[in-house]
Amino acid sequence: MRKTYGKTLPGMKLTDLAGKLIVVEGTDGAGRTTQINRLKPWLEELGHAVLDTGMTRSPLAGEGIRRAKEGNNLGRVTQSLFYATDFVDRLENEIVPALRAGFVVLTDRYIYSMMARAIVRGMDAEWIRKLFSLALVPDAVFYLRIGIDELIPRVIFSRGFDYWESGMDVFPGKDMYESFRSYQSALLAEFDRLSVEFNFETVDASADADIVFAQLKAKVQRILEADSRKDFITTLRAPTAAPAAHRVEERAVFIPRAGTATETEAVFHPVAAHVTAPMGWDPNRQK
Amino acid sequence: MSTGNQVRIGPFEILQPIERVAPSLRERENENLPGRLFIVEGIDGSGKSTQLTLLHKWLESKGYGAVFSEWNSSPLVKDTTKLGKKKMLTPATFSLIHATDFADRTEKSILPLLKAGAVVLCDRYIYTAFARDVARGIDRQWVRDLYDFAVTPTVAFYFRVPLETAIGRLVAARDGFKFYEAGLDLGLSDDPAESFRLFQGRILAEYERMIPEFGLTVIDATLPVEVQQAQVRQIAKTHLERAKELRVRP
Repeated sequence: MRKTYGKTLPGMKLTDLAGKLIVVEGTDGAGRTTQINRLKPWLEELGHAVLDTGMTRSPLAGEGIRRAKEGNNLGRVTQSLFYATDFVDRLENEIVPALRAGFVVLTDRYIYSMMARAIVRGMDAEWIRKLFSLALVPDAVFYLRIGIDELIPRVIFSRGFDYWESGMDVFPGKDMYESFRSYQSALLAEFDRLSVEFNFETVDASADADIVFAQLKAKVQRILEADSRKDFITTLRAPTAAPAAHRVEERAVFIPRAGTATETEAVFHPVAAHVTAPMGWDPNRQK
Repeated sequence: MSTGNQVRIGPFEILQPIERVAPSLRERENENLPGRLFIVEGIDGSGKSTQLTLLHKWLESKGYGAVFSEWNSSPLVKDTTKLGKKKMLTPATFSLIHATDFADRTEKSILPLLKAGAVVLCDRYIYTAFARDVARGIDRQWVRDLYDFAVTPTVAFYFRVPLETAIGRLVAARDGFKFYEAGLDLGLSDDPAESFRLFQGRILAEYERMIPEFGLTVIDATLPVEVQQAQVRQIAKTHLERAKELRVRP
């Protein structure tokens, strides 16, 4: 059964959401989109159905938010709620149905970006947490972290400074460079705080994109394998009441000894973890 | 800080929180706004809009600068609401899109006007959202927390009317019910009139609960219009007299 951060929306059933919800978070320019664009075909090649989604992509509010941003005319409370509308529309109509159908859902940003942006704008941290208490707890949050000094050249030499990415609504009167620096630094600090609270897995995004991709692949693989392994084990009638000291035997494989006819005479052969466990396999995850 | 392995967390000079550029939502509550905020609530057909219009006329005749703010009227959110009302809203997105609209009006008009010392009149306020959203199955506390940023009204008038009276007035005034207004998204009944009755019944029950919770000022909406208006003006007057710097009409 899946969990939310506290509240469940009317009509939303949390059982049988068998898919995986994987979040890629990070400040603007950290390379989230690039990585998702690589993760998706890779996962599909492995045979997983993938839904990729991200902020302002809802049919309901996406267009409205884009238009409001063009006018540079969006107050901080309105902004938070408009994004929340977009998020909930995608949560109810895309993310949850996809998880129910067993998809791997890759989401470019999740509630954490919205939280960071609101908090940097002086909004009440508790208010924004309560607002997003209806969100599903994801299976993993990969936080692509990049320092401000590495970020700036990326932005300058690609798309240039943008009004909202520079937080011009937060620091009116500063020039775009100064504003970008202050705003993105504040966001980064907020992300760092959130990373502790919400158990982000931090990935150094200042590294080469290939290296970041390799790290993400390993992490995603671990989530997917941990899951299939769990199913495998439950089908294997392993002893359930084994004491903690004998945990290795919980993963034993049932093998009838040669020459024995009945189940009672069979023994459980402990299986060495390094032989059968997939890479990154952590027995404690099964507890 | 849990940083994972082999991950370099950059220089920590950035970990200073930035200076707050605006007061937090809670701080604003304690601000003494010079303006006055009168709002009317009640189910459809309670006559609240009529009463608010009459209050507006009276305020103008007394020389006060009074400004209307309608429920669900922000130009910024209008197109999205219109899109959503083509039956693609769930109770949660219905709630959020109305909250977004209300936030835009609070930030751009209600709050600045109150700061400037105007009398602001709202036809429906956060209590409409509380009643409707809870009637749609939204968590009562969640929606109250959601609207935490709203300015507390000077007086919240609740026009209390029995369901049958309200329905009688509406049936006489128009033909047919709108999809969301009748709560047809909830599947309470296939018959719009019956669905309307059931949905408005739920809303009415929520209003009743909110009277003590928020100290709503109850006006008996079965009384003659003139009697109700006399009560409304009497109450409004006491709050206007105590105000120090209200704007006058130019």
